Amino acid sequence: MKSISFGSLITTLLCLVVTAHGAGKTIEFPTKVAAPGTFPKKWIHGSESLLDNKDPVVQVHWYNEHTVMMRENKAYADGANFFFLYFGNEKAFLLDQGSITQHDISPVRELIDGLIEEWCKRNGKDDVELIVANTHLHGDHYSAWNQFQDRPNTKLVGLTHEERLAFFGMTNFPEQRVEYDLGGRKLILWGSPGHDDAEMATYDTYTHLLCTGDMLYWGLITIRGFAEKWAPSIERLVKFTDEYPVSCLINCHIEMSMQNVDYPRSTSYQPDEPPMQIEVETLRKLNAFVKTIKNPRDGEVYYFDKIWLYNQKGGWETVEKNKFVY
Amino acid sequence: MSIKLRAVRLKLWFGTSVVLTAAVLSGRGEVTRDYALDHPAPGSIRFTWIYGSIASATNRDPRIQVQGYNEDTYLMRENLAIHWEGPFTYLLFGNDRALLIDTGATPESKYYPLRDTVDSLIKRWCKVRGKTDVPLTVVLTSAEDIAQNQAYAQFAGRPNTTLAPLALAEAKKFFGLSDTWPTGTATLDLGGRVVTVLPTPGTHKDGLSFYDPYTAFLFSGDFIFPGRILIANDKDYLASVNRLQGFVAQQPVKWIMGGHLEMTNLPGVDYPRRTTFKPTERLLQLEPATIDEVAKYAASTMGQSEIAVRSDFILMNRVGPGARALTRPPDLPPVPATPAIRPRP
Repeated sequence: MKSISFGSLITTLLCLVVTAHGAGKTIEFPTKVAAPGTFPKKWIHGSESLLDNKDPVVQVHWYNEHTVMMRENKAYADGANFFFLYFGNEKAFLLDQGSITQHDISPVRELIDGLIEEWCKRNGKDDVELIVANTHLHGDHYSAWNQFQDRPNTKLVGLTHEERLAFFGMTNFPEQRVEYDLGGRKLILWGSPGHDDAEMATYDTYTHLLCTGDMLYWGLITIRGFAEKWAPSIERLVKFTDEYPVSCLINCHIEMSMQNVDYPRSTSYQPDEPPMQIEVETLRKLNAFVKTIKNPRDGEVYYFDKIWLYNQKGGWETVEKNKFVY
Repeated sequence: MSIKLRAVRLKLWFGTSVVLTAAVLSGRGEVTRDYALDHPAPGSIRFTWIYGSIASATNRDPRIQVQGYNEDTYLMRENLAIHWEGPFTYLLFGNDRALLIDTGATPESKYYPLRDTVDSLIKRWCKVRGKTDVPLTVVLTSAEDIAQNQAYAQFAGRPNTTLAPLALAEAKKFFGLSDTWPTGTATLDLGGRVVTVLPTPGTHKDGLSFYDPYTAFLFSGDFIFPGRILIANDKDYLASVNRLQGFVAQQPVKWIMGGHLEMTNLPGVDYPRRTTFKPTERLLQLEPATIDEVAKYAASTMGQSEIAVRSDFILMNRVGPGARALTRPPDLPPVPATPAIRPRP
């Protein structure tokens, strides 16, 4: 009896010491069943007059207690990018940083600091290392990247394709899948080029969310290399969903209305947006549709549901028609 | 000598002041102006146009920027943070009437108080001129141009106000152009200041331009402006431009004042659609010689699906408004590559 109580005292003391050091208890991130999470009923979506917009610069939504989804305000950044923060026992993984460089306008660094602090407090930890990563290398996804340059306990993956490959240890892009461990929570990444050559898909083994970045979302997908890059990347996504459970696909923009009419890029007010997430079933149907496109032509737009595939030669373009033609 | 001059000036100033004061105090003896000059009326655009901001929600510019070109001519711009088109509208005064050309891109007066702004300008002008009120006519360079017809309804029911009808047939009747459209011209007499109404269909089937001989301005809406001129009917467009060439040959034109501004200050480089931060815009005003260049490319692109990039405008025929030229014409100077303030995908 005596020895047992002495032992439990030691254990209690040890626990106290450990807690004081900020390791907290180790969080389990089971992978068999998707960790539940919720999407907001409606994301912020701009306003009639952007000057009169009173929404926050970035909308923060906790998908579940270990996963954050963020959306930029169209009155601050016309692309209204989504970006994501995944927490593990040792690392927090920031996937994209949004499209505003100016720290005084969009203090993304402070926003992320606050979220990490909140999460650590809730989970009895002092700090976790921040990994600053990107879905791909387009400016509207890394504009706030520099805000993290002097942040302590932070690693930046890099803004070149080569640095990204080296960081994740990818030697056979785009086929090779690599695991990245956040401390009990593993991400799986692989190449997903077609919109941008450096794009990667990110799968979270905890929530079963698969992030497709800008190569697949509700909107006008600008594709550079339809047959040789983008279509195989779609096939690769489908193949992944054959092997792994995927709850749904998440991504970085919404450019479409519920009526399957597009909100052309940089539209300031999108009151009739569909939810951001895409079902796996849609991906499979899309893949079947893509297979019917034998010889994609330059400049052609292929219409599938709320996903419009624009085989773009280069430059920046919308597919609007001149409605005043007579 | 200088003392004598100053005395004359003082006397002049005092004299004017007395006339104005007497007019204001007595409520009669209105000041009338002679608008018939043998040269364009003096006037200036002294200020940079508001050009939006990096984050529209933090924009602190006025909702409508007003530049007084001269005492009888006001140039206005809608804030780009309210609507990315940032259209220009114009208010002209004659001895008997005010004329508002175009109404901007936003209907709601709480966002874009065009009527309040026009009311204030009219009120101040009337006070200076010793009038209690002046009738207002509202016209549009195109009734179907959604970037210029939106605040039209703000003027419905305004006292002492005439609105040019929106339907083309009625508009023709209103201007007296029913029998001569599109080759004829009409006039709007503002009281000593007689504005010519010129049918210029081409970017819109109901396109109109307005020539003011007092300032020697040609108000051209989106028919000719420093930006992406989107042709809706190339045959009509060329015919209208050619007619305009003929008209301009007979009249002094100081500047062409368009309804929009999309070019940067680099030749042939424009801000893409829906850009809300345009810190390096070109000047709004175009030289009259631009009409000849527009005519040249309207002829060469006729019947083609083509984008003609020129220094001061981009002529777009048989393409959508979001189309971009993939190459730069060799006769334009090369443009240095600079990192974008707001990178685009």
